Amino acid sequence: MTAARAAVAALQGALAAENSAVYGYGVAGAHLAGARRAAAVRNWVAHQNARDALTGLLAARGAQPQEAAAAYELPFAVHNAAAAVALAAVLEDRLCAAYLGLVGLPDPGLRAFGARAARTAALRAAAWRGSTLAFPGLDVPAPRPPGQARQGSGSPGPSGRPHGSPTPPHPG
Amino acid sequence: MARDATRRAVLAAAAAAVPLAATGCKGIAALGSPPKPAPDVAVASAALAVERQLIAYYGAVLGAMPALAPTLRPLLAQHHDHLSRLRARLIVPPGGQPLPTPRATAPGRAPVPGSPAAALGYLRDAEDAAATALLAHLAAAPPSLAQLLASISASEATHALVLGTAARHR
Repeated sequence: MTAARAAVAALQGALAAENSAVYGYGVAGAHLAGARRAAAVRNWVAHQNARDALTGLLAARGAQPQEAAAAYELPFAVHNAAAAVALAAVLEDRLCAAYLGLVGLPDPGLRAFGARAARTAALRAAAWRGSTLAFPGLDVPAPRPPGQARQGSGSPGPSGRPHGSPTPPHPG
Repeated sequence: MARDATRRAVLAAAAAAVPLAATGCKGIAALGSPPKPAPDVAVASAALAVERQLIAYYGAVLGAMPALAPTLRPLLAQHHDHLSRLRARLIVPPGGQPLPTPRATAPGRAPVPGSPAAALGYLRDAEDAAATALLAHLAAAPPSLAQLLASISASEATHALVLGTAARHR
């Protein structure tokens, strides 16, 4: 694959993740209240802006930006606040992974852009999850509906060390 | 993971091949000078030094304030994960430079502050600095190492968030 085609493919991957985040935050926000609802709304707007920025980057490369789907299949049923929070963390994990796709490109500008966006997604994921990951975007935990054992890392250490960390504030 | 394994295999093969090629082309004198480290090795070494330094800071703070262990241990465990993953990228050529030894206090870095809130702030600043330092190597790194550096840098940004929050609650 040429560098230009690889860049378009990675940008389309990030756009697809942003489109699903816009949809997912719409679902999550409906089940949240107070500060968490406000955070979900802020993130929803931020993801719309990020989607528009990616659309612009693709158009500038002469590529047709991928359309958003009318609806997306959720990784688990979202009928309450706990599931909504878990969904928001999953959406950000996936965004982080998609933006690391840009970091794998040769273009230093896209690398830096991808790294900044991956960092933002990791910060939002940590805030929703209430714990940190060792390798956000690389070792992405499997989507887990709330109620199952929650743990900070998708790959427990060899010594069975506890992962995760105290609860950071809500994202925004 | 499969990609990592392949990459390591390729690196191992490259490291093994270089001295043989040098022997073949330049005669016995070439054996005296070790091959220059590949860009992967230089970048991974720099990132390892950043991680070792952070781990030393955590050690210094934990030594002075064991009560902070519940907050710090999970974060420190993730730094050890970073160290292992970076070390897996590193193949030091025979006769190459040994890795820098970590010190509890780096040159120009103040000693651990006296209060828990200040100590948490001290680690938060160190995490922020490490997150930035790793990104400085982004352009020089091969693609998969660049992704690893960006992921570790993002992890450190989340650590800084946790530490800043913990500092405010003290």
